[in-house]
Amino acid sequence: MPNIKLFANLRNVAGAKEVSIMGTSVGAVVSELTKWNPALAGHLLENGQIRPHVIITINGHPTSDMEAPVTEQDQIAIFPPITGG
Amino acid sequence: MNGWNGKILEINLTALTYKTYPLDMEIAQQFLGGRGLGARLLWDLVGPEVNPLAPENVLIFTNGPLTATGYQTSNRFSVTTKSPLTGTVLDANSGGFWGMQFKKTGYDVMIVRGKAKSPVWIEIKSGEVTFHDAGDLWGMRVYALTEKLGQDNNRRNVLCIGPAGENLSRIAAIMNDRERALARGGPGAVMGSKNLKAIVVEGKERPDIADQDQFKFMLYETRKLLAASPLTSQALPEFGTVVLMNIMNNIGALPTRNHQQTQFEGAEEISGETLTEKYLVKNSACWACPIGCTRISKTEKVEGEGPEFETTWAFGAQCGIADLAAIIEVNSLCNDLGLDTISAGSTIACAMELSEKGYVDSELRFGRADLLACSVEDMAYRRDLGADMAEGSLRMATKYGHPELSMSAKGMEFPAYDPRGMQGQGLLYATSNRGGCHMRGNMVGLEVLGLPKLIDRFQVQGKSSFVILNQNSNAAIDSLVVCKFTNMGVADEYFARVLSAVTGIQYATGEMIKVGERVWNLERLYNIREGFTRKDDTLPARLLNEAPTEGPSKGWVVQLEPMLKEYYRSRGWDENGIPTPKKLADLKLADL
Amino acid sequence: MVDPRIYDMFREIGSDLYSANMISSHGGNMSIRLGDRVVIKRRGAMLGNLKPHDLIETRLDKNDSGVALASTELLVHRTVYLNTPALAICHCHPRTAIAFSLSRDEIVPIDNEASYLLKKVPVITEEFPSGTPQMANKVATALQNYKIIMLRGHGSFATGQTLDEAFFWSSTLEEACQIMLFTRQINEPFIEYRKMSESYNKF
Repeated sequence: MPNIKLFANLRNVAGAKEVSIMGTSVGAVVSELTKWNPALAGHLLENGQIRPHVIITINGHPTSDMEAPVTEQDQIAIFPPITGG
Repeated sequence: MNGWNGKILEINLTALTYKTYPLDMEIAQQFLGGRGLGARLLWDLVGPEVNPLAPENVLIFTNGPLTATGYQTSNRFSVTTKSPLTGTVLDANSGGFWGMQFKKTGYDVMIVRGKAKSPVWIEIKSGEVTFHDAGDLWGMRVYALTEKLGQDNNRRNVLCIGPAGENLSRIAAIMNDRERALARGGPGAVMGSKNLKAIVVEGKERPDIADQDQFKFMLYETRKLLAASPLTSQALPEFGTVVLMNIMNNIGALPTRNHQQTQFEGAEEISGETLTEKYLVKNSACWACPIGCTRISKTEKVEGEGPEFETTWAFGAQCGIADLAAIIEVNSLCNDLGLDTISAGSTIACAMELSEKGYVDSELRFGRADLLACSVEDMAYRRDLGADMAEGSLRMATKYGHPELSMSAKGMEFPAYDPRGMQGQGLLYATSNRGGCHMRGNMVGLEVLGLPKLIDRFQVQGKSSFVILNQNSNAAIDSLVVCKFTNMGVADEYFARVLSAVTGIQYATGEMIKVGERVWNLERLYNIREGFTRKDDTLPARLLNEAPTEGPSKGWVVQLEPMLKEYYRSRGWDENGIPTPKKLADLKLADL
Repeated sequence: MVDPRIYDMFREIGSDLYSANMISSHGGNMSIRLGDRVVIKRRGAMLGNLKPHDLIETRLDKNDSGVALASTELLVHRTVYLNTPALAICHCHPRTAIAFSLSRDEIVPIDNEASYLLKKVPVITEEFPSGTPQMANKVATALQNYKIIMLRGHGSFATGQTLDEAFFWSSTLEEACQIMLFTRQINEPFIEYRKMSESYNKF
């Protein structure tokens, strides 16, 4: 199953830093994630789309495409809106 | 007078006298304050014949028309000088409380000239200036000195140098309010070369505001916007700037071991999440700031402000160190000694590589967290290899025969973003007027965080437009002077309206950003006059030729040449990067 | 041919504009700035149904595309790029906003989203609307201070760092105007829910 790493306050919400979730696309993975922990829904989704400024990377490459394919070996990382300097 | 005080204070340290005179309001309207006004004044005062550490160099402290009005983050201020590290025009910018208090003394600008015959400190109380002998203070570290001179955040504020500045380290900072820093480019050394130990300010005057109703409306809207943005209401207060560590590592743009790699296996241990979990006491804020990005961290040995992302990276990934406690402690030490943490960490990393490769005889190795504190002390007191490190990584690496191992542009060490993972950042570093700096126009928003929208970080064509807009906009913000984190929740058009409301002079958003463009071009002219040319708009060979061999940035080097060509054309400069007469006329710089 | 990703972006937003009733079959235009070059829709092409050859890339200060005229409104786009910090422009014909522009000098939204994002949208007038230097200068001057403006009876001009920012302002304005139209139809007294709303029209 693809490995999902969570960062910043998503860890507090999810109660975990890392989780393995079923899914063959970004959208499917996010959907399963919010089923596993419904509290995440408000942080990740808005009107069925990825919430603005939430960053999802597949093996270190950001994507906003819900249809982007995800395989067993992929490392997914999800960041809430963050900034720094 | 609205916004500005309309007065300049000029200090003559050689004679220990001072005078005051009116600020030229036409120049003030063109350049606003802060960085812009500082650059304009430096143009007239310091030319190519001046050595940065000679008495003929000046220190120009400036606040801006918005400073101390109470608008959110209206606490920041600048110092402008010729940099002993890079030889370029330098402005360094700091927060805290000193800038606000300086505005309250009734001055917009303080120009410090000459050199005192023996150490002095200056006290400014409601316009009156007193010179004090600093013989018994010379040698004191920043924390003890700040307390001794009576630091009281809202009432009396201390700005000073530590031993690093006294010993003319080219990467010495000027510190204010104990732990805030005018850090980059070595302004601390300029202050040390003038035998000036500290400047203490106490004031009572508040700036006048032309349109109170509009100003109140902008205060209200800004409060709403900052509260609504998850960046300023949640991410920054909770995790601080160090929250970037994990994402920069994840996308393969975290320089590691002196930029030899772009990912660090210890990133999680030095991340914002870990800092919050293990060492954070609480967050804190500068004057009039609702965001509160400052960390108060505690280990067994120290408790104090920081560390910031760049600091944590410089002593962390860049040095191959995953010991966050050691990093927190060395950050505190740098503040106490008065050193720029980015340059210090990156210079140590350079020394580590020189040492591992056998070019210099030293115990330093990547991962040696136990050597951080003594290295930094050696830098401040110029002991052993510290004497070379105090000169910055480029001079040190050159001395040992390998200048290509200094990760810097124009001599200033890069911060925490590897441009092989962010093409736009590479262009930014190469073209920054003060050297390898991210604060001139950080592309992390666009290329990594999706603010306002994610653009392709490996794309080259068209990238210069974004870099130029960032550079112009940031130069304007540095001239107001407010904090760039406010910009995370509040668009430029709000700043333009606040500026108009405070000063009573109508600035359209585009006109305000044009001030930034004017400042940028003036800084460029200054550097050209100093002898900088197109060939100085470059990056180390490692970033241009050595692609990372693993990670998401694998195979990428910075495509500088095509970006630079497009950049010059887009800025209205000729193919040598010199602003054309038409561009200068358009910016009202033709007479310079 | 322009970069396929740029084409995709233009095509998607163009299609969204058409399905949102914000352009007619051949009306409106969009452009982006790439350094010192511009990508813009070809004259006569349909924004709602763009093909790759419908996008022209040319120098910012003069036409070197080899195509006769990229668009009758190219002059406006160029003037805006040369006089403002804009990196993208969306020009469309949002029906309700146009209707409101006929009877006022500024559109001040009353719904939450547009109050928050736009505050106020000025309406400017030009006697000869299409592609003249006077119109171009007027539009550029207004866009120096506002990210979206209305040209009376003609349409909106919005700018942004990216095309979808410019589209966002345009879409927000049209939504705001539709809501204002509905309140007129409902015709009941307005209950003010926003603090300091009297300051919006001074923005």
